[in-house]
Amino acid sequence: MATAPYNYSYIFKYIIIGDMGVGKSCLLHQFTEKKFMADCPHTIGVEFGTRIIEVSGQKIKLQIWDTAGQERFRAVTRSYYRGAAGALMVYDITRRSTYNHLSSWLTDARNLTNPNTVIILIGNKADLEAQRDVTYEEAKQFAEENGLLFLEASAKTGENVEDAFLEAAKKIYQNIQDGSLDLNAAESGVQHKPSAPQGGRLTSEPQPQKEGCGC
Amino acid sequence: MAKTEQRNGLDVRESNMKELSDNGKSIKHELASEVNGNAINEETSVDRYGFTGGAQQYSAETVEDLPIEVLRQREAKWLEMLNSWDKWMAKKHKKLKERCQKGIPPSLRGRAWLYLTGGKVKREQNKGKFQELDDQPGDPKWVDIIERDLHRQFPFHEMFAARGGHGQQDLFRVLKAYTLHRPDEGYCQAQAPIAAVLLMHLPAEDAFWVLVQICEKYLPGYYSKGLEAIQLDGEILHALLKKVSPVAYRHLENQKVGPILYMTEWFMCAFSRTLPWASVLRVWDMFLCEGVKILFRVGLVL
Repeated sequence: MATAPYNYSYIFKYIIIGDMGVGKSCLLHQFTEKKFMADCPHTIGVEFGTRIIEVSGQKIKLQIWDTAGQERFRAVTRSYYRGAAGALMVYDITRRSTYNHLSSWLTDARNLTNPNTVIILIGNKADLEAQRDVTYEEAKQFAEENGLLFLEASAKTGENVEDAFLEAAKKIYQNIQDGSLDLNAAESGVQHKPSAPQGGRLTSEPQPQKEGCGC
Repeated sequence: MAKTEQRNGLDVRESNMKELSDNGKSIKHELASEVNGNAINEETSVDRYGFTGGAQQYSAETVEDLPIEVLRQREAKWLEMLNSWDKWMAKKHKKLKERCQKGIPPSLRGRAWLYLTGGKVKREQNKGKFQELDDQPGDPKWVDIIERDLHRQFPFHEMFAARGGHGQQDLFRVLKAYTLHRPDEGYCQAQAPIAAVLLMHLPAEDAFWVLVQICEKYLPGYYSKGLEAIQLDGEILHALLKKVSPVAYRHLENQKVGPILYMTEWFMCAFSRTLPWASVLRVWDMFLCEGVKILFRVGLVL
């Protein structure tokens, strides 16, 4: 497993949504592995990745659910929206159709998450400037109208990928600080962990199995 | 399977297996490696299944090797079965099943799959049908999606590595033909790896009919809109797990991990993107003989 010890104080749940082929899995891969995966296999169902980041000196573990983009998979991916603290809604700046479908993704995101879920719009493939089909300005405007964070990024070069995940985390953290996000709400998508002194998730051995790790 | 090294996928000494490609390169890697007994080239990085890298690439420790005599014997038995197939299916199915469980000899695997699934019968009942579908342009909606997926199927396999190469072309033909054959269902992304595995063993027309059989007979409804069948099977797997391995079941429950999370890809791709390649082929040998229950069994073991 990763090197990071389990000494984070929050867990944020994220989902990544958007049309097929916009680069959702590549964004996740770039974020967790810092590598670009060309010919990335398309996602069947749901995949999962994690990484620990730091916001305002707090270590936060991001649990990221990466969903299949093809329309018919929505039947199974919808159940993963629930309890997400952040949603990355991705389109491809070189394919207008993926931008046009955003409203339908947004509807899903709004209906299936809670009102405090932070949604960030990401225009991926920003490295392909020559093939651009959606301008920065119009996407920016769409984001503002709908109260979304917005960034253009490139999973290929890594540009803004880090920021996309961080911006959303900052916003969520801010919501926690100013009290607008209730940590105790069942579906806040955030779990608070008092920084474990000796960093043990599966430490409590004594009880054999039942409800062991409280994670 | 015989302990041999792959040369480079180019030399072929057996003609038992259906030949797929016309450039002599793509499909034959398997028999080339397994049938002739001399271990040679360490330099070539193509493994015995045609992979040049990636998660699927063969690593020596994972495969048990079969003495060449045993392999030969099995090939002979399989040839005999294939030659009087109807009789075997009708009267000696149990024996046939056992032989599938032992693994179909690589040189005959493609043919055996074609026979087992009834793809051969379908092909014969529908002479010229594939050609006809192949000649049609296809619904642009599906064509667009399929094209987007072509380079994403087993990019580490020599057959599918080249953009626009034979493997990808055939993959396109097979998947497009399916959307024309079943316009109500169209194309589901999970069909692409299935079709790709078939194309590694069969020419396009045969692969198409086996795909049809898998989608209609083996896994009906798996790829349809709404994906209800897979969700249902997810629940069944989950319930079976509770019975078979209560500890694993409880752990998953505690972690709030539902079946859809882990089994969707397993089942929809028949483990082709999950297991080491040698295991994939063995699972498929049994799956195509016995049906979806094999997927459940494998799923439970994992």
